[in-house]
Amino acid sequence: MEQPAAFEDDRLKMALTRSVAGDTQAFTDLVREHQGMVFSIAYHFLQDRSLAEDLAQEVFLELFQSIDRIQSPEHLTYWLRKVTSNRCIDQGRKKHRRREMALEEAPEPATASAHVDPMLLERLQQSLAVLPEKQRLVVIMRFQEGLGPAEIAEVLEMPVNTVKSTLHRSLADLRKGLTRKIREVRYAFF
Amino acid sequence: MHFSEDDLREALKRKDPGEGFTQRTLIRVNQARVNQASAEGTAHPATKKVNGKFLTWWMQRPAWAMAVVAMLLLAFGIGGYQYSEYRHAEEMRIARAKQQQLQQEAERARDQAIMALEIARAKMNHVLQHAQLQAEPNDKIRRERL
Repeated sequence: MEQPAAFEDDRLKMALTRSVAGDTQAFTDLVREHQGMVFSIAYHFLQDRSLAEDLAQEVFLELFQSIDRIQSPEHLTYWLRKVTSNRCIDQGRKKHRRREMALEEAPEPATASAHVDPMLLERLQQSLAVLPEKQRLVVIMRFQEGLGPAEIAEVLEMPVNTVKSTLHRSLADLRKGLTRKIREVRYAFF
Repeated sequence: MHFSEDDLREALKRKDPGEGFTQRTLIRVNQARVNQASAEGTAHPATKKVNGKFLTWWMQRPAWAMAVVAMLLLAFGIGGYQYSEYRHAEEMRIARAKQQQLQQEAERARDQAIMALEIARAKMNHVLQHAQLQAEPNDKIRRERL
């Protein structure tokens, strides 16, 4: 298992070095490698595919302009997460009213694996969409990117304890939101 | 309804932006590169880059920009007020100095006039004494004849 990871790291290092030298193909490889991460952070935050795509493209455009400042593949991942988070918050501020509409605007249905309830996933996404911006980002960084509190603190420029309390509060809010939604469904039916 | 952390991970699973995403991104990057190249033809590269970054930084932080503008306006306001106060004080000082100078000149003129009168009085006394001395022998002769 060590071999492919090391190979992958070398490949990314090479692509990064060549991108800094102006190789478009190498830059394309970097985009392909990280587009899922950048797009997903934006999509889970904004709950809008076209806005998320636009934001992800802007992030890669910024990467192209600042590629000479990236020192390593790890730094690249950190940089992309940080820039995407900042842009998400900016975009969220621009589209402040979207939060009020988020419950009505059903996000794209979740593609669930066989053992997970698709309705639950959809409701989780809807509840996530109404969380405050910072809480939403912390949850995305924790459960999409699998980062620990210290790493999230570094990316979002927050104290570690704040990250922990925000995460705790977010999960409680998600549970509360989900329970409220179930009640709404019950009232609608009975 | 309960959910586990795995459910949350599943809900937040990374999504593929679609097949054409890479191509669309590269088209945008190339377009930006062409625009940048044409812009660099008209402006000095270093200045352009610095200005661009500087403006972007401020445009992304409107609250900071507003705060800086407010601070500058406040600084200009306070500076203007201080300057007008300084100008007023300076004008008052000049007027006072002019008045003092006029007063000193008037006092000097009065002193000179008093001195001129003193001299005139001394001259008159001198003339009067001479006249009295000349008149005295004539009086003695007249008294003797009587």
